[in-house]
Amino acid sequence: MGVVVRQLAKAYGYLWALKEVNLEFSDGDCVALLGPNGAGKTTLLKLLSALLYPTTGEIKIDGERLRRGNSDLRAVIGFLSPDGQIYETLTAKENLHFFVSLCGKKIDPRELDQVLDQVGLGDWSDTYASSLSHGMKCRLAIAKWSLLQPKILLLDEPYGVLDGTGINLLENYLKGLCEKGGIVVMATHNVARILSFCTRALILQGGKIIFDEPRQEPWESFHRSFAAFLPRDNR
Amino acid sequence: MAAGTKKTGTARKILAGLALLFILLGLYFGLIKAPPDANQGEVQRIMYLHIPSILIAYLAFFIVFVGSCLYLWKGERRDDILAHSAAEVGVLFTALTIIEGSIWGKPTWGVWWTWDARLTLTALLLLIFVGYLMLRSLIEDQNRSAVCGAVLGIIGSLDIPLIHMSVYWWRTLHQPPSILRPDKAPWDNIHPDMLWALGINFLAFSFLFFYLLSLRFRVGEAEEELKRLKLYGTT
Amino acid sequence: MTILRQIYWLLWKDILLEIRRRETLLSMFFFGTVLLFLFHFSFEIPPERIAEMAPGLLWLAFVFTGTLALTQLFHVEMESQCLEALLLCPMDRGAFYLSKVLFNFLLMVLVELVVFPLFGILFNIDFWRHLPALFSIVFLGTIGFCALGTLFSALTLRAHAKELLLPLILFPLIIPAILGTIRGMEIILGARDLQELFPWVHLLIAFDVIFLTVGFLIFEWVIEA
Repeated sequence: MGVVVRQLAKAYGYLWALKEVNLEFSDGDCVALLGPNGAGKTTLLKLLSALLYPTTGEIKIDGERLRRGNSDLRAVIGFLSPDGQIYETLTAKENLHFFVSLCGKKIDPRELDQVLDQVGLGDWSDTYASSLSHGMKCRLAIAKWSLLQPKILLLDEPYGVLDGTGINLLENYLKGLCEKGGIVVMATHNVARILSFCTRALILQGGKIIFDEPRQEPWESFHRSFAAFLPRDNR
Repeated sequence: MAAGTKKTGTARKILAGLALLFILLGLYFGLIKAPPDANQGEVQRIMYLHIPSILIAYLAFFIVFVGSCLYLWKGERRDDILAHSAAEVGVLFTALTIIEGSIWGKPTWGVWWTWDARLTLTALLLLIFVGYLMLRSLIEDQNRSAVCGAVLGIIGSLDIPLIHMSVYWWRTLHQPPSILRPDKAPWDNIHPDMLWALGINFLAFSFLFFYLLSLRFRVGEAEEELKRLKLYGTT
Repeated sequence: MTILRQIYWLLWKDILLEIRRRETLLSMFFFGTVLLFLFHFSFEIPPERIAEMAPGLLWLAFVFTGTLALTQLFHVEMESQCLEALLLCPMDRGAFYLSKVLFNFLLMVLVELVVFPLFGILFNIDFWRHLPALFSIVFLGTIGFCALGTLFSALTLRAHAKELLLPLILFPLIIPAILGTIRGMEIILGARDLQELFPWVHLLIAFDVIFLTVGFLIFEWVIEA
């Protein structure tokens, strides 16, 4: 599984959100996507998940271009957004059942209960999603993606809503995914946390990549090497 | 891409010249040379304008269809500008057709409007054009507006034959109890000068249409170039 | 078949959500009924002419009620970014289109099943023996309405003034379905020669097939996150 991004650019009206981004991701990459607000992190993630189409440039997944019409390619991509993407008036279990079935996987209701237990939502499986807190919705999203098993998982600032247990849950899941050869790209402001397990750091600023290095040990000096690129409060 | 080269400017001037020439010729043939109609008298002369303008309106819609198909297929902005321009000029000619029809109708039928097949179809065509233009203007994002416009252009074009059939059947399969039969064109003996008048005016309207279309297209291209400059100027 | 399975699950989701939220169907029932009352007050129809005017009034009532449903059609997806969630799935966009067409069709049919007899009772029209034929023609017209309406509902999803824009672009283009259904109903109610019915039925079938196919193929461009 390889992701190649060439000359990717995205403009909204007269503003460039991303300018000429060139990247390559390979199996096992766990990428920390850092940068200040408005740097273009969410835009990059949405382009990688084909929720948006680029103004110029292209994204190729295993040699196949991401474009309109090849929705089959979406099967390998996951996008974890912490603030939603579930139906409010369906229960946690029904949401899982729906999305998993829609994606073509046959699932046993007991397996659903198992997964919900694993993410700590066992007691909430029959509650409407509208009653769940943000953190619980995020856990539900983790449950969903762990069932769908994407090869590429994109995350947009999940640390903000999760508590300590939730964070451990997420990190274990992500580590497992990378060990199996998957690719993880996580946009976050929690630099210290993600640096403990990422394999690469990417920094976006003003739509451009200003830092792209694989992780080196010891990570404290690695952190220091790019701390200067980040705004004071984000270091 | 430099919009508006010397060649296209000259071509436009030629079109304008031809349009003017044929309009004057058409006026001469239509008002002076061609004899008055045996049944309707002088008022029939407006047909020399009415028939060409409805034909041009249909031509305009056909260009909208072609531009829309090309845009969805290739994604070139030029095709979208062509479709949008054709729709705007098409509205003009459709409105002209209705006004001319009304002016002919008052002395002939005694009423400004009647729901006969031809007039009804022309009014529907106007509404479809206006709907297209409103959709384009009410969607903020330029690319989205272009795609949505193209879809509506294609659907509208596919629907027009069906609307034609249904309206004609409605008016002929189920005869309304009316003495007025405006569908019957009382052209028993068509004098050759009448045919000349019709042909020349048709050419006049064609040249006028293409001249206006090229002007509007030029404006569209210039707008596009301005956007491109603004966009790439900020890189 | 993958597409059928996807349509099944999408429809399951829409029906379940409608049963729980009860936002659309009930409003449609009452709106349809209110329209009938409005027609009664607006048009002083002599009893002998009611059968003539019934098809037009009925079908207008359905069209207005159906338009109401269309503006709400993607409402559940617009909440909580569920549209994004769906587009992330390897889901055929055409399947998404057909599931929404089916769902809207279902809602409209349920309303028609109630409003039709109600109309007969309120306006004292005897069309009970023609009911199967009438319903068949109305269903054909409803399919066409839903096919085009769903497409336009998705097109105007993010436009300004979409509740006004949707009818503006839909109504002129739905004329064949309107004419076909109303004329068909007139022919059936007037117990006229069924040969007259065939052109209109063929028109409706052609309309339905063309726009269901076009919608299915073109939805990829229409729906966007």
